[in-house]
This record gives sequence, C-alpha cells and structure tokens, in this order.
Amino acid sequence: MDWRWDFTFDVVIPRLWEAAGVTVYATVASFLLALVGGLILMLLKTSKNRMVSFAVTEFIELIRATPLLVQIFFLFFLLPEVGITLPPLTSGIIAIALYNSTLCAEVYRAGLQAVPRGQWEAAMALNLSTYRTFRRIIIPQSLPPIVPALGNYLIAIFKETPLLSFVAVGEIMHASKLIGSEYYRFTEAVTIAGVFFLVMSLVSAQLVRLVETYLQRSIQR
Amino acid sequence: MKGPKIRFEKVLKAYGELKVLEDLDFHVDENEVVAIIGPSGSGKTTVLRVLMTLEGIQGGTIFVGDEPLNVMRKGDRLVPANRAHVRRIRSKIGMVFQSFNLFPHMTALENCIEAPVQTKGLSKSEATAESLELLAMVGLTDKRDHYPSQLSGGQQQRVAIARALAMRPEILLFDEPTSALDPEMVGEVLNVIRDLARSGHYTILLVTHQMGFAREVSDRVCFFDGGVMVEEGAPDDIFGNPQNDRLRHFLSKILEAT
Repeated sequence: MDWRWDFTFDVVIPRLWEAAGVTVYATVASFLLALVGGLILMLLKTSKNRMVSFAVTEFIELIRATPLLVQIFFLFFLLPEVGITLPPLTSGIIAIALYNSTLCAEVYRAGLQAVPRGQWEAAMALNLSTYRTFRRIIIPQSLPPIVPALGNYLIAIFKETPLLSFVAVGEIMHASKLIGSEYYRFTEAVTIAGVFFLVMSLVSAQLVRLVETYLQRSIQR
Repeated sequence: MKGPKIRFEKVLKAYGELKVLEDLDFHVDENEVVAIIGPSGSGKTTVLRVLMTLEGIQGGTIFVGDEPLNVMRKGDRLVPANRAHVRRIRSKIGMVFQSFNLFPHMTALENCIEAPVQTKGLSKSEATAESLELLAMVGLTDKRDHYPSQLSGGQQQRVAIARALAMRPEILLFDEPTSALDPEMVGEVLNVIRDLARSGHYTILLVTHQMGFAREVSDRVCFFDGGVMVEEGAPDDIFGNPQNDRLRHFLSKILEAT
C-alpha cells in the first residue's frame, strides 16, 4: 500500500485538525439544540390542546419518516426560496438538531413514563407542588434511563455530521475530500478522518458509560 | 356539637359509563376510626382516592371539616375549587398506600422530611427532629439512613406511615396497607396502625382485607359493594350479625379463604 507519512504530517493532519474543530462545533451545537428542542416537542406533544398535540405528533412523524440528508438539502436549498438564507453550517446544524430533537422527545417521554404512577400519587398526597414534584421526585428518577440514551444520540449526531459535507460545510469529511481531489491522494486523508471518528466515538462512549454508572450509584433502587 | 370530620354528599365517581361510586352519602366523625371492607371493585379504595384528590369526582360534594373539598365559596356562589384551595384542604390528610410508594432515591429520613420542608415551611433541623421521633415511634431509628431498596416491605410501609405523619395530618387514610406484604410482616405494620387508632388523635379511614384487625381497631365498619355502601355499623354487629345478604355472602367467602 502506498502510504506517505510526510504528506500525512505536512498536509493532511494540519488541515483535518482545523476541520475537526468544525465537526466538534457542529456536533455540540446540534446536540444542545436537540436537547432543548426535544423538551419543547415533548411538552407540546403532551399538551392538553388537541390541535397542538396533533400537529406536533404529525410533525415528528414527518421528520422521522424522511432521511436526514433530504432535510439538510431541504433547509439549505429551499429556505432561500422563501427568503431565508442561512450559512451552510447554520442550516446544517438546525437540520441535525431538528431530526434529533424528535428522538430526544421520545427519550424524555419514555424516561418520565418509567417513573411509576405511585410516585406521582405519593407526591400529591404529600402536597408537593408540581414544580417540586418534578424537581425532587420525578426528574431524579427519570435521569438514569434518559442520560445514557441521550449520550448515545450525542455519538450518533457526531457520526451524522459528515452529511454536512454535501452542502459544503468545511467539516472533517469535506476537508478530506478536498485534500483528495487537490492532490489525487485519498488514502491518508480519508483514513485519518476515519481514525478521528473512531477514537472520538470510543472516548465518548466510555464517558457516557461513566456517567451512567455514576447515576446508577446515586439512585438506589 | 361539631359536624362530621369527613362528609360525602351524593358523590358520583365514574369512568365513562362505569359508575364506581354512585350517589354516595357517607361520613366520618372527628377522631373516629372507620374500616371499609368489601370485594375488589366495590369502590372502597376509590373513597380514599377521591378524598385524597388523586382523582376527581363527577357529581356531589366532599366536605372536610365544614369546608367543601371539590368546590369553594366565592362570594355567595360555589365554584370549582382552585389549586390553592385543594392544596390547603389536602394538607390535613395523610395517605398510606398499598405499594408504599416511598421515594427510592431518598433515605428513610429524607423521605420523611421532604414534604414538611418543602410545603410546611419547616426548617431542615426542625423537620429532622420531628421525623426522627416518628421513625422511633415506628421502630426504625436505626434504619434512618437506609434506602427503601435496603428495607423489607414491612419496614418500608412503616417508613411510609412515618412520612405521612410528618405532615401533621388530622385525617389518615390507609389503602390496604398490608396487602402487598409477606405474611410475617403484616403484624409489625398493624401494630403501628393500632397504636395510631388508639391514640385518639386521628380520624382514620382504613380499607382492609384483614377482617380481624378491622373488627379490633375500628369504631365502625362500612361494607361496600358495587359502588354503594350496603351496610354500616358497629364492628360486632357487622361481623357478628350481618343483615344484608351480600355482606353475609362476602364474609362467608372471606372465612372460607382463611
């Protein structure tokens, strides 16, 4: 196999290093937006207003039933048609966040449902306010199932960011493609990009597991 | 003379077509101990649940003391009770559940002090002192720092009783408090309830399948069947000289089983 270390160190790693920053930024930004968006979707979906909950349920179905890449293209190419022009990175982050917020909403819902009904009733019988019931009783008990699931979505989002290369966001996959076509050498750039994803995923998975163990220990059942 | 502590007036509780309580008139005097017996599905647990406002009612009025629970006076009209009104009345009532419902992420002591600190405005040290006394009363001083998962069923239920008492309720509701327990743990929980019943400080409503215990501790026994109170009376009359056929049938089946 033809692998050139000088090319790797002089060209590939410096350029990918810069692009890796974009990948990490896109991941973190999408994830944070998805966390908040998921909460909003979950609250709207369980709204007492039938119209609202119906609309949100259908919206979630729509997002889930279409590929993320299509949504990224949709936001990037079609929003300008209605007068909204966003930079590729911004529209890409919004698309990934939107897609994952529907998944987060489901995680929140499942986490809350995992808390037995009796806990709500005990809190009510003890006259705790709704806020206190959530803050002190319900949320602490729903975190152990919720946090690992969210951690997995963080890793999933990270692995989805290469899709942004389709709308020319300068993340790591895009950068390695550019290097490849500039120098007619793909081996090093694509391999290093792959290794980057592998290492980051393994490290984050380990972190998620640590948090999981910590939570499990903090709540005894 | 004071009116009854708890009064149900034509109370209707229904799930769609199914009427769980139908035009129920029912009352409990202050510091009276009333046992409610009946087959499952008779609505006996529902009496406690609507009183604790875990569930709403579709008709009638429930009074706690001389105040209506599900409605409130506004000028000279009655309007549906708002949250503040319900919470004020609810603070007089404590409930012990069949499945304990302790908070699993808190120790026995934390379970007890949580609500008094949050809702009664007690300082943490006041609440702790009071809860320790209650835990001592139920015989669990040494388990104060244990989590529910580290306690037996009987111990969990005793913590749950201490937790209910920590709210300084005037009315105590026991919803089949020993039904989820292994037989050897029933006694320790009944002993605590017996002491509370005999103290004369609480108005107690006890839903139970322990007929012997109901007969022993209660001032009055009410037999429910099909959402209706079929018969009520002194324990010796209900168990010794039942009038209604359905009650006789129920008692004979219970006796067969034991």
